[in-house]
Amino acid sequence: MTLSVTKRTVSMLAAAALLAVCVAASATASQSKHTGGQLVGAGSTFVQPLVSQWQAAYPAVNGTNIVYQPIGSGGGIQAITNRTVDFGASDAPLTPDQVTNCKGCIQIPWALGGTSVMVNLKTNAHAPLHITGPVLAKIYLGQITSWDDPAIKALNPGISLPSEKITPVYRSDGSGTSYNFTDYLSAVSAAFKSKVGLSTQPPFPVGVGGKGSSGVAGVVKNTAGAIGYADIAYAVTNHIQVMAVRNAAGKYTTPGTKSITAASAAFKNVGTTGEVHIVNPPKSAPTAYPISTYTYVILPQTTGNAYPLKTFIFWALTKGQQYGVKLRYVPIPKPVLVLSEKLLKTVHS
Amino acid sequence: MEASGVVPISLKSSGRSRRRQRTNYVAQGASVFAAFLAIGVLALVVISVLVRGLKAINLDLFTKNQVTFGETGGGIANGLVGTAIIVAIATAIALPVGIFAAIYVAEFAGSRASRVVRLALDVLNGVPSIVVGIFAYALLVVGSGYAAWKASVALAIVMLPLVARSTIEVLRLVSDSLRYGSYALGISKWRTVLFVVMPSAIGSIMTGATLAVARAAGETAPLLFTTSIFLPNQVVTDPSHAMAAVPLLILFDSESPDPSLNNQAWAAAFVLMFFVLVLSLSARYVLARRERKLRAR
Amino acid sequence: MDAPIAKPPLDRLASRRGLRDRLGDSSLRWISALAAVGVITVIALIIYEVIDQARPSIRTFGISFVWHRTWNAVTDQYGALDFLVATLYVTGLAVLLAAPVAIAIGLYLSELAPGGVRGVVGSLVEMLAAIPSVVLGLWGILVLGPVVHNEFGPWLNDVLGWTPFFATRPISGSTMFTAVLVLAIMIVPITAAISRDLFLQVPPDIKEGAIGLGLTRWEMVRGVMLPYTRGGLISAVLLGAGRALGEAIAVTQVIGTTAHLTANLFETGDTLASRIAAQYQAAASNLQVASLFYLGVILLAISLIVNFAALLIVRRYDIAQRV
Repeated sequence: MTLSVTKRTVSMLAAAALLAVCVAASATASQSKHTGGQLVGAGSTFVQPLVSQWQAAYPAVNGTNIVYQPIGSGGGIQAITNRTVDFGASDAPLTPDQVTNCKGCIQIPWALGGTSVMVNLKTNAHAPLHITGPVLAKIYLGQITSWDDPAIKALNPGISLPSEKITPVYRSDGSGTSYNFTDYLSAVSAAFKSKVGLSTQPPFPVGVGGKGSSGVAGVVKNTAGAIGYADIAYAVTNHIQVMAVRNAAGKYTTPGTKSITAASAAFKNVGTTGEVHIVNPPKSAPTAYPISTYTYVILPQTTGNAYPLKTFIFWALTKGQQYGVKLRYVPIPKPVLVLSEKLLKTVHS
Repeated sequence: MEASGVVPISLKSSGRSRRRQRTNYVAQGASVFAAFLAIGVLALVVISVLVRGLKAINLDLFTKNQVTFGETGGGIANGLVGTAIIVAIATAIALPVGIFAAIYVAEFAGSRASRVVRLALDVLNGVPSIVVGIFAYALLVVGSGYAAWKASVALAIVMLPLVARSTIEVLRLVSDSLRYGSYALGISKWRTVLFVVMPSAIGSIMTGATLAVARAAGETAPLLFTTSIFLPNQVVTDPSHAMAAVPLLILFDSESPDPSLNNQAWAAAFVLMFFVLVLSLSARYVLARRERKLRAR
Repeated sequence: MDAPIAKPPLDRLASRRGLRDRLGDSSLRWISALAAVGVITVIALIIYEVIDQARPSIRTFGISFVWHRTWNAVTDQYGALDFLVATLYVTGLAVLLAAPVAIAIGLYLSELAPGGVRGVVGSLVEMLAAIPSVVLGLWGILVLGPVVHNEFGPWLNDVLGWTPFFATRPISGSTMFTAVLVLAIMIVPITAAISRDLFLQVPPDIKEGAIGLGLTRWEMVRGVMLPYTRGGLISAVLLGAGRALGEAIAVTQVIGTTAHLTANLFETGDTLASRIAAQYQAAASNLQVASLFYLGVILLAISLIVNFAALLIVRRYDIAQRV
């Protein structure tokens, strides 16, 4: 009867489902052997390229898996505040409010890198196009809207700039890269500081949002005339042009080991809180890249996972730094490393 | 009949009738055209996804996990396993609750209680899945972290009204004479419900459930806030840890600047769509047959 | 069941069968009642929790949150107007675009298509209704976006640039226009499948009567079928709108996630659901989290109103199970 037909269908469906689960389970049984515990982190997409190197390398060191999801620095702060992760990562230091909310969190600088200004523009230039902070600010304020604007032309003599519309791209999520970028723009442009300001979610009046650094890089890569900002690793691995940004000394620099090191070296006083700003370094550092930043790991001072967490962060601060070089992260300099290690010691169970 | 004084009826269509005929053809033509246009566009969408997906699909997709930043290749093995497990647990939650709630409405509740439960189901069905996502986050994730079972709970909430509503509908279609026949034989209510009513309805209930599974497998928003922080390079089977899931991988890869990750998104979309379409199409086919037969009874 | 006529005596009869049956009856009753209570608890809990989490924002901004425009994490000032308007605008246009086409498909499938085509196209439409939204978003961002940016945009701007809707050329593929198209594609199959079922429910004798009176096919459709199914069609459209309103993922992928208060479809935008999806994990302050929940409250309210309106009408038709 009809019953038998449906019964067969049902049992077939059930069998298929069962089979799927079995296959899944057996497939994994072979793979998930070294489960020596795991540490869960989330946050900054700026530092994600580096963390993903650590994810690949660290299990071999002591069998701990590192789970990390690049949900943006704002997300990292939110996640550690809600204790949904073991560690958060942010390129923006905690605000006083966030410190209070986070109930005993510390921020430790654990990587150093540069925010690149990426463009998608066909020109006859063979070297990176030139740009200055104030012009960047005007672009992101919607005051300069075309690539052949006299202000941009003046910086790039001899280069034929197309009369193409500029599409500014920014981060739609809470981002430490946005913080770093607006930190710089606010430092060089009073108008930008008053109209937009310094934030992980700056209210840009124009532009298109992209989710995460890779989202911004994606929009820039696929949109002619676009300009965006993200950690230099995203530009390098995805073959996106970057711009050379004029520093206080009047030199045009791109983010690289030398220029980022120079920027960090220009700031001698690292303080004690872990918060270290290195944007727009003074004239005394002629080779410095002006949009460099430390990026922080945020830890709860009291945590059940203190031992594995401290072990991992210590490894990341020391041995882990070398993994960043090919992605143009710079090993953090001695004074900051000393500070970071001191801060790390305050974490306990 | 007043035949006198009336113009003799002509079989040739007059101007007015011709106009009506013309309107008829034009309107029908327009309707067919609009239908074809829309179906064409929809088919174009499906084909463009399938073609891109098919081009990008390879064995690695099923056997490998995500690669480290900057490398190319890799696959979505952990996402496939994750989706299978998350949806399986969600089904295990939603199915019994949904079916029993439906039994209550169809077999036990008075008219007022039945109306209240059905109202609740309708309301639940109208809740956007993103709201279910933030609800699950606030209730389950804050303070304790991401986990696959929390995603399952969120998905179960999405599935619950689908399962319950289709079950109620099926139970209503089961003829009352079957119930009365059973009572008349002196069989108690619970036996009647479980061993007389349910067996004749279970096929349709299961197909309804299959549709809910198909819907849940493609839901992204409830996963975003419950299981999106996962190990990229390993298959996880412990539901107390976060797991990767296919819709999440599609979402992340879709915005990537890396064309190889875009391709992976297409391939993953192909797999997901294939699964969802086969599931829902076969379920609808069986459902239609069952309902026709139940009605005929 | 709806027909409780002979039940009480039967129940009494049944309960006379030994202890096992009495136990069985009451446990099944209680288990199923528990499940039903579970359903009610879940929905109550969702509504309570969303409102509860929104409370700090409700306390700070009050009802004026709904018509304030600012969404500024720097000054910690939040308002919903831009998202609310964009949600209604984008959804409304998508529905306007999708509804006539979907009804035409329904009409075609129920009246005009030859038998063989009906089955094939019918199942194609059913299939399309099951496409996960994230896949539509993927298509929207990688295929449709560039086309909007490079083809539709310049063309529509040239032809219809004098209207407020296409006043500028899009600066990227992420626009409200892209979102409208993606949402329309999402709701056409849903609405089409329901309207086909509705048309199939029109009793054949009414239709035959109309034809017998000498009406043309179109006159029969307009004069008999559309009036007969009007309520159902409206609710089918509303159910589609309900889905579009709450769609977060596909929209957040293609809309550009920047709020504007403009009719220009080639601008970026942001809907309630899309803003929650984009910023929820990354909120900078407690007040922002609460404000995102406040957006959730508004979204929930609109969705429920739309769904209820649909249900009120749909109850008179036998199509409640479709969506």
